[in-house]
Amino acid sequence: MLDSPSLSDGDLLRLISAGDERAFLAFYRRHQGSVFRYALQMSGKQEIAEEVTQEVFLLVMSIAKEYDPNRGSAAAYLYGIARNFVLRCLEREKPYLTVLDEPGSEYANRAAGSHDVLGELTRNERIESLRKAVLALPPAYREVVVLCDLSELEYAEAAGVLGCAIGTVRSRLHRARALLMEKMRASERCTA
Amino acid sequence: MSDYNDREILDGLRVLASEEPRQAPKHVETFLLSAFRRRARRRRLTAWVTAAGIGAIAAGIATLVWLAEPMLKRAPVSDRAVASAPAQADSAAEVKYAVIRTDEVASSFYPLPEADALPPLESAMVVRVQLPLASLQLMGFPVNDEAGADPVEADVLLGQDGLARGVRLIQ
Repeated sequence: MLDSPSLSDGDLLRLISAGDERAFLAFYRRHQGSVFRYALQMSGKQEIAEEVTQEVFLLVMSIAKEYDPNRGSAAAYLYGIARNFVLRCLEREKPYLTVLDEPGSEYANRAAGSHDVLGELTRNERIESLRKAVLALPPAYREVVVLCDLSELEYAEAAGVLGCAIGTVRSRLHRARALLMEKMRASERCTA
Repeated sequence: MSDYNDREILDGLRVLASEEPRQAPKHVETFLLSAFRRRARRRRLTAWVTAAGIGAIAAGIATLVWLAEPMLKRAPVSDRAVASAPAQADSAAEVKYAVIRTDEVASSFYPLPEADALPPLESAMVVRVQLPLASLQLMGFPVNDEAGADPVEADVLLGQDGLARGVRLIQ
């Protein structure tokens, strides 16, 4: 029996390239959550998140043997692949993407389902506003917020995923948070 | 209500991170598993076809040798032929016969991919055969796709067990 917890990502990827199904399953279960959440947070759409998760792991089946642990963690490797797919999906869906107000979107459904007490409602509204503000950020800023703040990657790891310097990650994150603050203030003024 | 500050944004993002779904739906896993199984089946099939192809070539060569043997004009091996035999051949190997004419130009022997796994060469025989271009391609020779379909002449180096160790092309 495959003792997956004791196997490193590199070991699992080696086994996957040799056709080991249990290794693939173990690797998928270890990483699918972070890939799915990243895609969901970047796109705001459940179907895009599912599509990206599928595409990422389909690609892993083909290129598992190319993974080099010296070049970064498997998580960063997966985020890098997921990022390419997400950006491609966002580009493809650009003419149709109205995540923020679309009644059928994942987040609109979730907001509509909140029927709690007033305090909870206010809190939910603020979180929902923040979610919308994140989704409304330009992709370059959105991805640093998703990677560093929502997925809690180290700056160095995020820089590896994005293929830029750590300083660039810091400055984009700083700018992204400033943009979020502006958006949240504007949204609050509108509400008031 | 107070204006937002950096701390509130960070707290809000933390809450947001904790509220997101943590798992992809089960049907994604099901789809990927079936894709992995399809892929594994395809790999096994490809390996089987490759092995069968190599086996067919070996059988073809053996048949050619068997059919051509009575007609071969056997001559002593020249120094050049022995010197160009594959490097893995045992130095004490006794090479008995070959079919080399003085007006021919022969390349060096190229060891066949599976020859490494065969026992060391104790005695050998060089046999002239005609090979289709496709066989040469499978043996790893670079073959121009635009070349004609005519077979090419080649010498096959057979070991004491009758199995082919190397091939050289004849012009």
